[in-house]
Amino acid sequence: MATRPAEAVAVGVPPLAPERSVKWPKRAKSRLANGLDVILVESHSIPKFHGELFFRSGNAAVADRAPALADMTATVARTGTTRHTSRQIEETLRGLGADLGTNAGADTSAISFAGLSEFAEPLLQLVSELAREASFPEAEFERERRQKLEEVKLQRTEPGFLASERVRKVLFGAHPYAQVAPSIEQVAAYKRSDLERVYRDFYTPENGLLLLVGDFDSTEILTKIEDAFGAWSGKKPAAPQPAAPPNPRGRRVYLVHVPGAVQAQILVGSHAITRKHPDWVRLALTNALYGGAFNSRLVMNIREDKGYTYSPRSGVNPLRQHGYFSVSAAVRNDVVAASLTEIFYEMDRLRSIAVTEAELADAQHYLSGVFSMGIATQEGLLSQLSVVALNELPDDYLETYRDKVRALTPDDLMQTARKYLDSPNMQIVVVGDRAQIESQAALFGEVEGFDAQGNRF
Amino acid sequence: MKLPNGLQVVVAPDATAPVVTVGVYYKIGFRLEPQGRSGFAHLFEHMMFQGSANAPKMQHIKLINSSGGVLNGTTSYDVTNYFEAVPSNALERVLWLEADRMRALKVDDENLRNQRDVVKEEVRVNVLNQPYGGFPWLDLPPVAFRNWANAHNFYGDFTDLDAATLCDVQAFFKTYYLPNNAVLLMLGDLKPDEGFALARKHYGDIPAGPPPRFADPAEPVQTEERRGDVAEKFGTLPALAIGYTIAPRRTPDWHAMGLLEQALYGGRAGRLYRELVLEKQIAVDLSGGIDDLFGYNGPTQMITRILHKPEYSSEATLAAFDAVIHEVHHNGISSSELEQLKVKWRSDFYAMLEGSHGGSIPKFGLMHLLACLTLFDGDPQLVNSILDGFLAVKPDEVLNAARKYLRRENRAIVFRKPEAAVKEAA
Repeated sequence: MATRPAEAVAVGVPPLAPERSVKWPKRAKSRLANGLDVILVESHSIPKFHGELFFRSGNAAVADRAPALADMTATVARTGTTRHTSRQIEETLRGLGADLGTNAGADTSAISFAGLSEFAEPLLQLVSELAREASFPEAEFERERRQKLEEVKLQRTEPGFLASERVRKVLFGAHPYAQVAPSIEQVAAYKRSDLERVYRDFYTPENGLLLLVGDFDSTEILTKIEDAFGAWSGKKPAAPQPAAPPNPRGRRVYLVHVPGAVQAQILVGSHAITRKHPDWVRLALTNALYGGAFNSRLVMNIREDKGYTYSPRSGVNPLRQHGYFSVSAAVRNDVVAASLTEIFYEMDRLRSIAVTEAELADAQHYLSGVFSMGIATQEGLLSQLSVVALNELPDDYLETYRDKVRALTPDDLMQTARKYLDSPNMQIVVVGDRAQIESQAALFGEVEGFDAQGNRF
Repeated sequence: MKLPNGLQVVVAPDATAPVVTVGVYYKIGFRLEPQGRSGFAHLFEHMMFQGSANAPKMQHIKLINSSGGVLNGTTSYDVTNYFEAVPSNALERVLWLEADRMRALKVDDENLRNQRDVVKEEVRVNVLNQPYGGFPWLDLPPVAFRNWANAHNFYGDFTDLDAATLCDVQAFFKTYYLPNNAVLLMLGDLKPDEGFALARKHYGDIPAGPPPRFADPAEPVQTEERRGDVAEKFGTLPALAIGYTIAPRRTPDWHAMGLLEQALYGGRAGRLYRELVLEKQIAVDLSGGIDDLFGYNGPTQMITRILHKPEYSSEATLAAFDAVIHEVHHNGISSSELEQLKVKWRSDFYAMLEGSHGGSIPKFGLMHLLACLTLFDGDPQLVNSILDGFLAVKPDEVLNAARKYLRRENRAIVFRKPEAAVKEAA
């Protein structure tokens, strides 16, 4: 590798003006008599509001029955109630100027919605109807299942999906978090009664959290919420506590063969932490410096210096019980080994050499600046608030986050990198054409090979 | 405001959050790149991040990120934009950086080689190595259009990308990246006077250049339906895309098309999704609409993208699609349905104004709208009346627009069939 000249600096850059204070809006928290938690935040930027009705149970809680069962339940839940057909629901939404989505992840199920403030009351009524009176019409269920079959086949042709599915299996083994998507056979075996059972158990006020951000008066809207949701009842379901997955030791390589692929999708991962963990902010900052920002070391190295890839990035993926750290890059076939070398080099550098105060300050400014940008839009606020509420973070989390970021030292970062940028134990997934990439990947550990359907070869 | 060098400056103040969004839009896009240099406008956009006279390579990105901000750029048919969202105390720094690269791009052969490699990986990750990559946005133009400006590969053939030289880069910069071919926008936590004063300070001495000559993007009149085939390398489902060439912006027909778009594609209530996916259950996925309703300045299409079940033929799928269009031709849209569509249109419009480029750039939509109204129409104040035009549309105008534009001889169709299925059939 040729030595690059010292980085040229910019000349004549205007200094930053004094910082203007960031004022997080007031949150009005309450709990209805039936146990439904409600959080309201006024934001009058546009005459709309954004909301999300969460249930604190998702695919992981029913993984013993079938993968992604909670997601299928959410999909079908919008297609009919005891009072309205699918078509009536969709046309009502349109007439209210509303968007609505239903989905489930590993840990939560959710109905998310946005609409005009002038129609807040009817939209809340409709959300309540979907949460309480979904009827899972047979024909709608059959159609959605048939569609899901095709989607599941299609997913297996996407390199990004194949990589993330494999890394989750490798990191989580027998734990429900290892299940990312159902197989064709599993979708074919979904039954309507399975969905109704999930719906009955999960969609209850005691299990719920309603979050609204937007152009409304908090007191007035709370009355509308009580009207819409007050008469509902239901208990919190028991939450299974699966055994912690073993943390894989030593680097291993998992190759997913896609014949004819003209690029290799790399995804490297290891166990990390949940959002509640006291190391969260340290790891967030370490990640920003490693590969979580455009200006990060990894992006500067394998994109801006070497041109191996367009969109390298690293991230911390928090789930409720466990989290994982991952690094992804779609690279030219002939630089798989070179890219992996740089990915580990940048980890090892952070683990062994303290960052300078200047580089630390840059990363601190980045993370705290981007964090407070969430305040500027209703959707941004909703997303920040849902993180706090769903992870049961302290009430002053938003207000104190930036101070916590700014208090970190170069030594904090080195210790964090040693703990979580666990280079010697990273699990390596590469998706691509075996003939082009296998010998390169084998330089980094024993190779286990799979086809796109998940069968070993 | 317009500076003496021709740079137009727009400020939209809003002190809700201590954040400013800055955009610089240049009136140059895919359509205008030189022949033999397909993909050049986009490659050039990458080069704008590679160094300027006082901010060498990596410094632009570093200075924005370390101010607590994010940045990006995009290339489209008729404009290329560069934008940043930062805490408002970094406003002057952002303006200085954008001015530095408007004044003097400073890049070398190594930068060009590096970004050519990066762009090739971008094309691979988005097109060549993805199921339905580039479908239909790269597939339809060569079938639909006859003028090279509209019909060529906008991401670029690799041979053309390889042929690009540093001379091309400098010539492109000198021709199009002029203050008199650009608009500077500042939105959010600033006062108008503050924004205009900073614009004068940092951009006032950038010399104007001869106004660029733009190639005529006009298309010859189309007289029959056009069809094309593209092989699908990875995907499992047959697909087709249908594009109708539509009216120019800011005409009565454009307003009617905006409502017709809502009628046909408005989510699960949209007529096409309802008929093909929910009712007849031929399609697995259907989406579409007018790409960038406010930002085109030449021939453009309203496009439907359909992935359908293998047991239905392409022709049967197309017949189901045509039945929906036929119904609109005959009965139009009732006034009660039109009222519903307008409510949804208004709601979407508000969300668009506040909305953000992938969640990261507050007011991205308002910025884009103001930029296009300034560059194409010379009047950002039109933003205040744009909604009125759409809310005034009458049922017969929708019917007339449907009959005028949604015609077979005004459309192009691309069939994208999985290679595996094609081989089996052969």
